[in-house]
Amino acid sequence: MKNMSLEQSFVQQLKTNQNIIHKICRLYTNGEDAHKDLFQEITIQLWKAFPKFRGDSKFSTWAYRVALNTAITLYRKSTRTVKTVDYENHQYFISNEEYNYEEEEQLKLLYRAVYQLNDIEKALVFMYLEDKDYREISETLGISEVNARVKMNRIKGKLKKILNP
Amino acid sequence: MKELDLLKKDWQKNDAYNQVSEMEIYTMLHRQSSSIVKWILIVSILEILLWTTISLFFNTDDYFKKTKFEELSINIQALNIFNYGVILIFIYLFYKNYKTISTTVSTKQLMKDILKTRKTVQYYVWYNLGIVVLSLLLGFYIAFAYNPEVSFLKEKIANDGKVLALTIGVLILTVGVFLGVFWLFYRLLYGILLRRLYANYKELKKIDL
Repeated sequence: MKNMSLEQSFVQQLKTNQNIIHKICRLYTNGEDAHKDLFQEITIQLWKAFPKFRGDSKFSTWAYRVALNTAITLYRKSTRTVKTVDYENHQYFISNEEYNYEEEEQLKLLYRAVYQLNDIEKALVFMYLEDKDYREISETLGISEVNARVKMNRIKGKLKKILNP
Repeated sequence: MKELDLLKKDWQKNDAYNQVSEMEIYTMLHRQSSSIVKWILIVSILEILLWTTISLFFNTDDYFKKTKFEELSINIQALNIFNYGVILIFIYLFYKNYKTISTTVSTKQLMKDILKTRKTVQYYVWYNLGIVVLSLLLGFYIAFAYNPEVSFLKEKIANDGKVLALTIGVLILTVGVFLGVFWLFYRLLYGILLRRLYANYKELKKIDL
């Protein structure tokens, strides 16, 4: 690592951890183009912030924080023109061996419901799906643990309402 | 919530995303510089359009007729064409800079390209300021040599040293004010872009150490 330039080390670590960004893009965008755009924007923001990354936390932990903040900020800036989501075009995956029509339909509805949440709520759901505990959620999003719990409960309620109107 | 757990299971099972290559990541990092250079190109084109539109509204032909300057106006036209030619060359250079920067992959080359772009823009601004001064001086010369309305002033200058000094003072002041206004204009127009480009350069330099 020592002989490597900062840029090279950044590119390598990003390459290994790129699924974090892909996953965030999946929650925040619909369609391939938007996915690519957000991926690039997050990459640039990570790169800008990289000199401040001292390595006292894991690259992935740090990347979660910066990437989510970028997604949240960008999502705020763009006026939410996408009301009806073309979810058929969205990439999500059902493995063949466990193909279950009912389950697939339910997942489709679930992803659609998550997409309707606001920027912060999506970030929380993302951390939840990534199986992070509340301590990590609160650290990454910069809110208190209690607040994270309260928010998560509200999100669950909101999702229920969306799913069973 | 049962549904969320189902979602979680699906989420963690599926992470087959189209993987981005190292090369693609490098390109993403450098695109920032290329977008600034693209703006330099766009601004320079908008600028030439602006000047052309303004010159369409100020018809100088009448003035030249009045000043019986028609015989010399062909020279002015030649100067005008020359000026447009030079500006077009600059725009071409901006375009070339943009093209090279957006295709550059190595950091070292990118830094060189950024410095080159900065130089090009600086030359462009100096050239434009030079043209401003030149056209002002030419304007004064035409006014004094050919405009009949100014001839009374000429007589006064010939008789009175004070008027001569005052006239020269006013002319210098006019040149100064024009130069200042245009300098400010270019500083605002290109200065911001150049500063951002330079900041990018400094970051690249940090990496290269």
